[in-house]
Formats: sequence, structure tokens, C-alpha cells
Amino acid sequence: MQRFINLILSATLALACTFVMAEGRPANGRPAGTLATTESVRQHDQHDHAPAQAAESAGNPAAASQDKRQAREWTKYPLITPMMGRGGDRAVAKLAVKNLQPAELEVFAAEGPDDRLRRQFPVTPEGTRIEAVAPKIGNYHWVSAREETEGKVTVASTAAYFSNPGEAPTALLLKQKSELEIIPQPLPREHGSYRESDKWQFMLRFNGQPLANKELKLETEFGTKTAFTSDEKGMVTVLFPLDFKPADPAKAHDQHMGPRKGKFVLAAEHDEGGKHYLTAFNYAYSPDATTGKNLMAGAGFGVFGMLLAAPLLRRKKVDKKNSAKES
Amino acid sequence: MFKSIFPTLGRFRLFIQIFMLLLTVYGSNVVGFYMAEKISNALPALSCAFDQQNSAYCVLIPTQHQLHHRVGEAIVKAQQFTFQMVLPLLFTLLTFFTFFVVLSKVFCGWICPLGTIQELINKLGRRLNLPLRRFENGSVSKVRPVKWLMLIVLVLALPLLAGLGVTPHATGDAYCQVCPSRLATTLLTANTDQMAIRTGSSLDFAFGAIANTLFGFMLVAAFAVRQPFCRICPMLSFNATFQRLSPMRLVKKQHDKCDKCGICAKACPMDIHEIAREHGTKAFHEDCTLCGRCVEFCPDDGVIQMKWGPLTLFGSSREYYKQRMKGEMPDGTVKIAAALRKPESGAENA
Repeated sequence: MQRFINLILSATLALACTFVMAEGRPANGRPAGTLATTESVRQHDQHDHAPAQAAESAGNPAAASQDKRQAREWTKYPLITPMMGRGGDRAVAKLAVKNLQPAELEVFAAEGPDDRLRRQFPVTPEGTRIEAVAPKIGNYHWVSAREETEGKVTVASTAAYFSNPGEAPTALLLKQKSELEIIPQPLPREHGSYRESDKWQFMLRFNGQPLANKELKLETEFGTKTAFTSDEKGMVTVLFPLDFKPADPAKAHDQHMGPRKGKFVLAAEHDEGGKHYLTAFNYAYSPDATTGKNLMAGAGFGVFGMLLAAPLLRRKKVDKKNSAKES
Repeated sequence: MFKSIFPTLGRFRLFIQIFMLLLTVYGSNVVGFYMAEKISNALPALSCAFDQQNSAYCVLIPTQHQLHHRVGEAIVKAQQFTFQMVLPLLFTLLTFFTFFVVLSKVFCGWICPLGTIQELINKLGRRLNLPLRRFENGSVSKVRPVKWLMLIVLVLALPLLAGLGVTPHATGDAYCQVCPSRLATTLLTANTDQMAIRTGSSLDFAFGAIANTLFGFMLVAAFAVRQPFCRICPMLSFNATFQRLSPMRLVKKQHDKCDKCGICAKACPMDIHEIAREHGTKAFHEDCTLCGRCVEFCPDDGVIQMKWGPLTLFGSSREYYKQRMKGEMPDGTVKIAAALRKPESGAENA
């Protein structure tokens, strides 16, 4: 028994040492002792990063301030981004449009009265307030903005999630909403998110037909610019880059809002019938699943629990005596 | 045909358990990816929402979520103390009850993925000839209140207090933070996210440490103790609260031999000793998971029955008992393993 207690104490000590060692983190912000695919690490190394990060590290406050402004305008592609101020109403969202001057936002719903499945909301400089299809019907709604000039059609799209119950967006996503489309296949599940180093699929379509061998560009607010190519079925597998700044791990998961979010945009361009089409889909992504977490500590406590239960597997002395008698 | 594939209730239950384990853990490929496509968002079994491939959410998730976000926060905004606050919670309970009224605690004994995992581990333990630890009368009564504490403190009180702003936000889903099903089902999908402990705050770390220790303990303890976590599971107490409202139930008639026999109690994976002593409604104990083992191993005709309303779904019989005993002892020990060691249980001595 004494030997077993010593074993448990040693394991606890080893566990504590492992955890303390794992707390020291390398310069790229990834906690030591966490898993990363070599592919995602390689992808991370190949990415360009915004000059804001370089200016900040150089310690020049004026340059950093200017670059921060530039960093806020991190893409030339059109965006529809959420704004604060919906007043706690679950059926309302406030959105801003950037890099595009549309007259209205179009909101598509998966279910509800027929005349409300596709609605238009006029764009205002202080933000466009959109509503769910009905006060008690939520889930994903598709939002798009369109600008058409001579010879050029530009469409920005995003998804807005309203937290009341509602039909899944599977059919809504596949419904044709514009000429050139980037269709998430699927969107993240409720309470889920796109994450660094995750792979997600998107479909590229033109007039409802898959677009093969077409480039889909990805840009993130942290400065990554990269591209992926669609296959014969128009499917593109997007690997989200590991480009969140090394944040305080305590803030990696905000208790109320969930994981810290960054913005990204996917864009594709296509020429047909003498017109140039540009479409962009923007949404948010979160830090890698291991940020602010320690897998080694988790495994250590798991092993500790196993050791605590190990005495249950030992035979009682009575059993041994009985066995001896039997033999 | 049916009888040749499933000669015993135990074999049939094992089939259902494995089918439901696969469905609950990996079922998104069948039922759909989004929450709206799940079998239910209020299933009376530990089907974990943290598992990205699951087919249903367990009822404890929306219960905690609504107590935290709806009830707690609405009480703070006292003017909103209306249907807006109560209705979502009632809706969750109604969804849960729609399932529960049909199958009652069958969700624990036949469908819960964590229950199945523990049972499979214990079957392995029996085949490896590891010792079986049973809870005797005194010790089992000390363990039983823990499941009510888990329900009241972790599922109801802490999420509500978090909504009221009394306890930290991390306690908003306090039970999920320590639930071993979260770890078990996500690991089954080769996802180690939930195994990793959050290091951002001491409370997050403490929750993670407790969860992983509990999970590790459960995995090893299940080799020697039948259903170690089920005994303290808040889903069991949640279901026990409503068990009298369902037509699905266990029925036991009074019989002269019961006091001397006690095989049904040995067969019970939850160590419910009352099943041998009591009859009538008292025999359908709060810890019963309706697994049906007591019915299978009762050697007398019609003494214990599983009933749905007036229908007898399965009843004890001497013929069935003899057949069942050919392959397995009441405590789950297989005959080959039992032959290798000294018998411990009453059934083996008998």
C-alpha cells in the first residue's frame, strides 16, 4: 500500500512539473505541448503578415498607429460586418458594409412566410438593422449586398445567426442567390466556429454550375493573404491560417462571447458575357483549439484519475488466500 | 428469426446500446450537421454537444443554458419575469418529456453512450477475470445522494447563480465542465480538444482538472465496478424525478422465495438491493436504469416484469433464466472466466 501511495505522489509531482514546464510558451504563441499539424505550421510560415505587426514590434508608436488604421482596412474586398447595438434583441442584427456602396442589404431566410423569405433593408451610414424572418424564428440567415456598375458586378455576402430555433441552413445555402457564389459547405454548427488550422469546404458556382480550377483568395484581418483552387466539382478546401497574434491565453476564450474572433474574407472573380464578376464571403474565425489550453495537463490529470482507481483492480487478500487453498 | 439473432434480452440490449453509441457519437452524418437537424436538443441521455459529429444534444445542456442565460438574466431584469423567461425552459422540459414518456429510464440503460462505454469496459474486466467490486447495502446508500447533489448544484444552482451574476460565468455550464461523457465522446471522434485543460483562469483549470481526473478514474474503475459514473450522474436523478410519470416501468410481485434468493440484486449493475426485498412501486428504485438484468436473472415465472402501461414487454421465467445462466453469471462474469477463479457471488455458490 505504501508503495502505491508513493507512486501516486510521484505521479502528482511529475504532473505538476509537466504543467509548469508546459506553461513556458514559444515565441509564436502556441502553448508548448499542444498538437499542431505540420501542414498548418507550414502554412503559417508561408503567409505574409500585415505591416502593423512589424511596426508594433519595431516600437515606433506613430508608425504603429498609422499601421493599425491600415490594419483595420485589411482588405480591398467588400465586407458585411456585425456592429454592436442590437439592444439585446435576439431577432435583430446591425451590420456595416465596407468597400462597397450598395443601396440595400438582402436577407434570405430558410423558413417563414413566403413573402419574408427574401427581404431588403436599406443601407444607412450608421449601420443597417436587419431582422430575423420572424421574432421567434432564428438560426442562420444569408445576407448579401450587390453593386452593379457598367461591366462589373460585385457581391458581398455573410451569414447572420439569430439564436432562436429555426430550420437548418442546408437548403438555404444551396439556393441560388447571385451569379457568382461562394457557398460554405457547411457553415459552422451553432456554438461552433471556423478556427485556425481547421479545414473547411466551400463551393464555387456561377449561375448554379460548379466552377472548376478557379482561384479562391483568402484574406484575414491579421494579414494573411493566400489562395486555394477549386476542384472539378467546384469545391475548395480552405485551411484557416495560424495567424492570431500571441494573445494573453487568459483572453483566448472570453467567458461570455466564446473564443476571441478574427475576421476573414474569401473572394473569387470570374469573367463571362463581357462582365466581370467579383464575389466575397466574409465571416469570423477563432484561435486554434489548443490556444489557451494545455493538453499535457489534461492527459496528466486523466492518468492521475486512473491511478486513483487502480487499487480497485487489485485482488483482496482473502481472494489470494482462497486461491492458494484451492491450488 | 429475431430469437436466433437475439437469444437473450441482454444480447438485444447490447445491440441497441452499440447502435445508439454509434448514432449518438457519429450520427451527424445521418441526421444532419446543424442543431436544427438533430434527433433532439433535449435527449434524456448524455449525448454530448461538444462532440462535433453527434446526432443529439443531452437535456442537461439546454437546462443549464436556459437557467444561465434566460432565467438568471431575466430575474436580474425583473420586469422581464414573464413567459419570455419560463417558456424556453418549459419547452425544453416538454421536448425531454416527449421522449421520456415513451421510454422512461430506458435512456439510461439502453441509449446513453457513456453508460454503454462503462458497460463495455466492465464486460472486458469480467473477461480479464479482474475482481468485481460491489456496493453493499450501507455503502450504496452513501453514494446515492451524490447524484442529487450533482443535479441540484451543478445543473440547476450554479448556472442559475451565474445568470444572476453571483458566480463566475464559467459556472454557467458547470456540469458540462466536469462531465466525463464530454471527454469520452469527443475522444471517440479522435478529437482531443476537450481533453486539453483551459489555463486562462484558476476556475477553468480546476474544472478541467476535476473533469479529467473523474474521467480517468471512471475508465479504470469501470473494469471493477459496474457503471461507476451512472451512480452519481445527474441525468439519472433528472430522469428519476419524472420516472413515475412514464408508463414504462419495472414491476415486481411479492414472492415467498425473494428473501432467500437475491439473484436479481446481484444481477443489478446499480447494486439496488431493494429489488430483492421490496415489491410494487418500491421495487422500481430511483437508481434503476431499466436495463432489465433483474428480469432476466429472476428464476421465477412472472415475478419481475418490464411493462409499458398494461403491456408486458418482458417478464421473468424459469426457462429463460436457465438459458441465460448458461453463458453468464448474474454479476456479469462469463462462465469461462468464472471457472478460473473461486466463485464470489451468491449465484455462483448456488
